[in-house]
Amino acid sequence: MKNPYMPMPVTIETIITEVDTDDIKTFRVVFDREEDAVAFQYLPGQFAEMSLYGTGESPIGIASSPTDEGYLEFTVQKAGMVTSELHGSDEGRTIGIRGPLGNTWPLEYLKGKNVVVVGGGFAFTTLRSLTRYMLDGGNRQRFENITVIYGARTPGLLIYKDELAAWEKRDDVETYITVDQGDENWQGREGFVPTICTEVAPSSNNTVAVICGPPIMIRFTLPVFFDLGFSKENIYTSLEMRMKCGFGKCGRCNVGSKYVCKDGPVFSLAELDALTPEY
Amino acid sequence: MVKKIEHDRIQEIIAALMEKGILYAPVEDEEGVNFHLVDDPARVTLDFYNTVQGPKCAFFPQTEELIRYRMTHEGADAAEVEPDESPQVLFGVRPCDVRSLAIMDELFCGGGIVDPYWKNRRDNTTIIAYAFDTVDTVDFYGSFGIGAADDTGADILMVKVDGDLLLDARTEKGTALLAALDGLDEAAAEDEKRFAAAVEGAGALETRRIDTDCVARDLPGIFDSEFWQTEAAPCLNCGVCTFVCPTCHCFDITDETLFSKGRRVKTWDSCMFTDFTLHASGHNPRTKKHQRLRQRVNHKFSYYVTNCDVISCVGCGRCTRFCPVNIDIAGIVERARKRASSQQINNQ
Repeated sequence: MKNPYMPMPVTIETIITEVDTDDIKTFRVVFDREEDAVAFQYLPGQFAEMSLYGTGESPIGIASSPTDEGYLEFTVQKAGMVTSELHGSDEGRTIGIRGPLGNTWPLEYLKGKNVVVVGGGFAFTTLRSLTRYMLDGGNRQRFENITVIYGARTPGLLIYKDELAAWEKRDDVETYITVDQGDENWQGREGFVPTICTEVAPSSNNTVAVICGPPIMIRFTLPVFFDLGFSKENIYTSLEMRMKCGFGKCGRCNVGSKYVCKDGPVFSLAELDALTPEY
Repeated sequence: MVKKIEHDRIQEIIAALMEKGILYAPVEDEEGVNFHLVDDPARVTLDFYNTVQGPKCAFFPQTEELIRYRMTHEGADAAEVEPDESPQVLFGVRPCDVRSLAIMDELFCGGGIVDPYWKNRRDNTTIIAYAFDTVDTVDFYGSFGIGAADDTGADILMVKVDGDLLLDARTEKGTALLAALDGLDEAAAEDEKRFAAAVEGAGALETRRIDTDCVARDLPGIFDSEFWQTEAAPCLNCGVCTFVCPTCHCFDITDETLFSKGRRVKTWDSCMFTDFTLHASGHNPRTKKHQRLRQRVNHKFSYYVTNCDVISCVGCGRCTRFCPVNIDIAGIVERARKRASSQQINNQ
């Protein structure tokens, strides 16, 4: 029996500082053992426990796409002990990964549909995984129109800047990047994410919206999508909870009869409505 | 085939059991009587009503090593602490506590990823249940269909009758263990009758009972009720209810490092503590004590039923017995049921 508490060793290959406040970094890691790389089969929306011996573990969404071969990426905000220790790490350090854990964005359900990806600030990591996955050569045809609406408070807080610029140039994805407030060098859109969603006004016909962001953004974005005719079954989001084991035993992420770690983190709004509001 | 030994000769059976592997048995400690890994037969006692803590420690120790590691310049060298597969015996468990193990199996060995530490110990443990011969007023195991001499889940059922311990196997594992134990006497026909009479007599013992019908379905309906503030008002957030509970399974995983060497451990934790759900961001979905009491009751009587089709409570009465402010989960469930039904009537 495989011990689910035992992390697989990975080496940090590259560290990218994503934002001008330096507190969000992307860690590209590669498996030390070939068999682990083969065993780690994931899909967008899933997460892993990042393990640093001596400090502990932290559940982090996988930001790379399964179509990216040979590595995994995690975009991590410096917040607690593990993420602070990770932020202080250098390239070449060996850390651990347990996973993949949790459910995935509803890829089967999204097939043949229009997909609107809405993200705010740092909460764009598994949405980035999903978008990369959908835009990948062989996968693109399985989805209809793809729209990405992504915003941050300032230009310096946008993550994956180069990738966003590349998406803006593509003609098989509509990309709308916005900031709450620009600076002297910013030539793009200004405006809150809900406002941009109102302007873009994606049709709800055969469309699923996938939304992640800070609570305030979610609160003002959902009514926009309801007004556009989106049903709660066609709006998905991903929850965060404090977790330890990551597979439904330690009880920490229990919300109603669900465990965010194994029944989530991805839920439709219809599913969330059936849960107790304790997240 | 019933076997017999005088209660005064308990040390002999304990010594014989210790030969068969790891032995967990009731031992008097500073708290009262609790299950301990036995190293001295003289410390084992059967003179107790029930142990302070449930028997989960025999499968899910309060602190359990998962990994040992040594910090290096590049990271760490780590080695798995392999789940224990040694044969072990759990001796002197009350029937309601035996039932708690099957409830915990649903979580640790049920659908999805299996916890190898719990499962290996469960697979390799022989359980000697110990029938009640009296009833404490706070117990309510009868509500769950558990009898005072219930043998469900036990490999051997033991009763104490007039200074004798009578043991009868209930499974092949139990039969094999009894056959291999030196020092036990073959019971006479008279003893067989005494055993049967003791089991029947225990069957007449009645705990208080709560009505658990529809509780799982109805509890969510009063989730937002002020009922929970009222019930939780006296709670001191001490967490003793979860600590003594045989079905509470929440745990933490932490690293303990001394100089360059360390261990990753799984330790009991409690949903009654506010830090339990504290995010690194500072956000906390359950900051108030009524939210945590509500979580504990709902988890046991509603959420667990949804997921595992069984109430995660055996009515052992421990949380009530040890609560410093007399919070009684059975009373809460009874009042919650009434509140839910009156709310339904008002809504009609």
